Amino acid sequence: MKTINFAIDLGTTNSLIAKYDDGNIKIYNNPLGLKQTLPSCIAFRGNRTVIGDKALDYLEKDAENICMLFKRKMGTQDTYYVPSIDKEMSPIELSSLILKELKNFVNDEESMTSVVITIPASFDTIQSNATKKAGYMAGFKEVVLLQEPIAACLAFANTSSIEVSDKQNWIVYDFGGGTFDVALVEVNDRELKVTDNLGDNYLGGADFDNLIVEKLIVPFIEEKLGIANLWKDLKSKTTNFKGLYFELLKIAEEAKKELSHYEETEIELDIDINGDNFFEQFVIKREQFEDLIAPKVEQTIQFIQDVIKNNQLLNSQIERVILIGGSTYVPLIKKRISEAIGVEVNSTIDPTSAVVHGAAYYAGSKPASVSQDVLVVEKEEDTVDFKLFYEQNTRDLEELITGKVASDKVSGFRIMRKDGGYDSGVKTLDDGGFSEFVPLLEGRLNLFKIQLLNSALDVVKIIDTISINQGSYNVQGQPLPNDICMEVDDLDASATRLEKVFAKGSILPLRKKIYKTASKTILQQSKSNLIINIIEGKSKGLPSSGLSIGYIEISGKDLEEDLIKGTDIEIEIEVTESRDLKINVFLQSCDQEFKNVFSESERAISINKINMEINTVLGDVEALIKTNNSEENFEYSQQLETIRVGLIETQISASLINDDDISDAKFQLDDRKRKLIQDFDDLTRNKLIAKEIEEYKDTKSSLEYHLNKEENERYQEKYARIIKNEREVINSGNKYLIRSKIKELDELYDAIIQSSDENFITYFLNLKFCTEFSNQRRADKLFKQGDQALEKQDYKSLRHIVYGLSALLPDYEKEKQRNFKDDSRTGLS
Amino acid sequence: MTEIINQIFALDIKMKKENNDSANRYLDRIYHEFETMGFQIVNPVGQSYRNEMTDVEANILGDLNKQSKITKVLKPVIYQVENNETKLLQKGIVIVE
Repeated sequence: MKTINFAIDLGTTNSLIAKYDDGNIKIYNNPLGLKQTLPSCIAFRGNRTVIGDKALDYLEKDAENICMLFKRKMGTQDTYYVPSIDKEMSPIELSSLILKELKNFVNDEESMTSVVITIPASFDTIQSNATKKAGYMAGFKEVVLLQEPIAACLAFANTSSIEVSDKQNWIVYDFGGGTFDVALVEVNDRELKVTDNLGDNYLGGADFDNLIVEKLIVPFIEEKLGIANLWKDLKSKTTNFKGLYFELLKIAEEAKKELSHYEETEIELDIDINGDNFFEQFVIKREQFEDLIAPKVEQTIQFIQDVIKNNQLLNSQIERVILIGGSTYVPLIKKRISEAIGVEVNSTIDPTSAVVHGAAYYAGSKPASVSQDVLVVEKEEDTVDFKLFYEQNTRDLEELITGKVASDKVSGFRIMRKDGGYDSGVKTLDDGGFSEFVPLLEGRLNLFKIQLLNSALDVVKIIDTISINQGSYNVQGQPLPNDICMEVDDLDASATRLEKVFAKGSILPLRKKIYKTASKTILQQSKSNLIINIIEGKSKGLPSSGLSIGYIEISGKDLEEDLIKGTDIEIEIEVTESRDLKINVFLQSCDQEFKNVFSESERAISINKINMEINTVLGDVEALIKTNNSEENFEYSQQLETIRVGLIETQISASLINDDDISDAKFQLDDRKRKLIQDFDDLTRNKLIAKEIEEYKDTKSSLEYHLNKEENERYQEKYARIIKNEREVINSGNKYLIRSKIKELDELYDAIIQSSDENFITYFLNLKFCTEFSNQRRADKLFKQGDQALEKQDYKSLRHIVYGLSALLPDYEKEKQRNFKDDSRTGLS
Repeated sequence: MTEIINQIFALDIKMKKENNDSANRYLDRIYHEFETMGFQIVNPVGQSYRNEMTDVEANILGDLNKQSKITKVLKPVIYQVENNETKLLQKGIVIVE
């Protein structure tokens, strides 16, 4: 059996929609904005209709074309004449527009045929029927009405699991932003019934905010500035205090919220009055606020007492009072009610959504009498033909969407940005088409949804495929021919590497801020230095293989204070359209800034740097020649040899010129060096990466061997996490990425091995093949002890013996780190 | 998190108002951190105001027309970017003249 499930709280000032879903209640958010509530307000602007929050914008300017509070007129002959469309609108039509807008909150795939709509307890038959009619007009096939106090009681009963066996009287106290209602509800084990109700349509929480401004904030300002009549002036149309009234109301609202939780709150005024800045603070105590609002609260208490008295009841016959409506957050209300009536006052349910919440419970239990297939006939939306024109990529912050619709059924359209930042409102088509400028969010992919509507504002077709990319050129614009990178230290590999700043193909101009930490301390006046080297070239290559397009050395003597390791370094890099490079370095611990502008015509090159780079690569080349020779890989080592000789020649030439040489000799050398290192890079990169991948696979398989053992099952989850993006990493061709993955696997491997002493047996046996112990005699002694331990199955001792043997092995890592000397580092990590 | 962003934003406005730019660098850094956490913070001050902008709550002074501009921003617009999908996290509160 299908139940209704959907419920709508069609309120005087705000409306909500919710759904019952298998015991849970989901209250839908407005996709345009973040609130669950939709202000029950509609603005008619000629060919455009705006519903909800944004309709309130026109309240002052265009009041005659704004319709709100029409719920009060439900069931009357009164209509609203709207000049901008020259039409009389009935409260029913207006309510149906609100209902249609609420339908928009729900996902498109949900079909809604039946709904529960709440009405005030005071609604008579005619008003109730009018509400039903609005529901049918909005496209519902079945409308079930439910009184608001009942809905509130249901929300309360269902969230607090109370057993009611005999007859009880409950009071529902509904104090909203603009209206006040009190209802007496009779509850027994079978049903809930509203027996009486009273209310005031012009009493609400907004009055509290106004009181704070009028009685506390304004007198404070008047006293400080020695002025008078500020309150009057604030609200006057011809005021000098533009905007101040709204600003003060906001401050008052915040203060009100604070005072619901704290005993006092500080109000900070930072405003402009008559052109002068007024900056003062003062404290409001909860007592003051309560004194202020006490008369209004007493008014509401009087209503409760009247309801009780009118029904010949005594206070003691009231079981509980349930609070709903946003204003009931104020603690004084709860306190005064329990003092005056002397019963339990319950404020556990969310005051704003309680009604729709309870109504959804009801909808979830009420069988729907209209079945789905009635609707099949209406599913003809795909027959609408349309064409759209717009730029998919743009640098502008606004873009034009143009559409042509070939269908008589469609008379209006509405465009919404899916992130919720834009809504065109419902507009009429002009000659079968539309053209609309839509604002875009900077640097993002902006997704739009277009609804095509018929004359009754029902959605006929949804176009959901529009995306506009802000921040990229369609055709024009200069792309970068190469990656632009920065050289940074790679402390793990004890070398430097390139970090991509801008990717190849990015469109100029470009600008980026990078935050790094200092990887070494540079003392004032010391010779140690910090190197900012901006390189154009492949980001996966060696730093020295790229073209250095900007180079800054900051040494100890440039510093006003010591640069401390670990502190922040901020580097701003900008490439202009004419390809000028601007670098701006800020050292946080020294509070010092270095600026430099480079243009390619005046490249900065340091002989020192060339030398250093050659030295680093030379070491690698020589080592590689040695291994390849021993593997009888002579062709390959011959290629390497050519590079080696070239590098040495370059180095010799470099030593013959001074750093302040003004000829272009330096540039020639730098070019030669780069060419050679690029050759080396090309020759080795694929091999290196293949080697890393091989190592990765080895590590993985030996790890998997251990993981498959039962006792190591708990490591599976962590392992799955590590290898999750494996394919991405391996295909990246970036050895640093692969290396870091290997490191992660290694760590896990170590953790598994160390979790059990028995795992050290294999280790021990493997060590027997090693010949490189720094102290062979000591190693032999340990092996002997190890054999004995193995015999006795004393694995704990074996573990310590393995540790001892490992310590005797040479530490390649340390060696490498020692060679990564201070002056070959950039100082950035 | 939105409350932290709002406070930083208020601090930023206050320092600018007092022509104090000594902390701009630190504020920029904080904004950068917010961005890496997936928050896009928009200060629409000075933009012309259109009723279609559903990312701000406008308090409108006098007549709303084509020349209406956002003259003051009490709270910034905050978007959250998650899995390359952007959604509005907080509407801006602005004054339009």
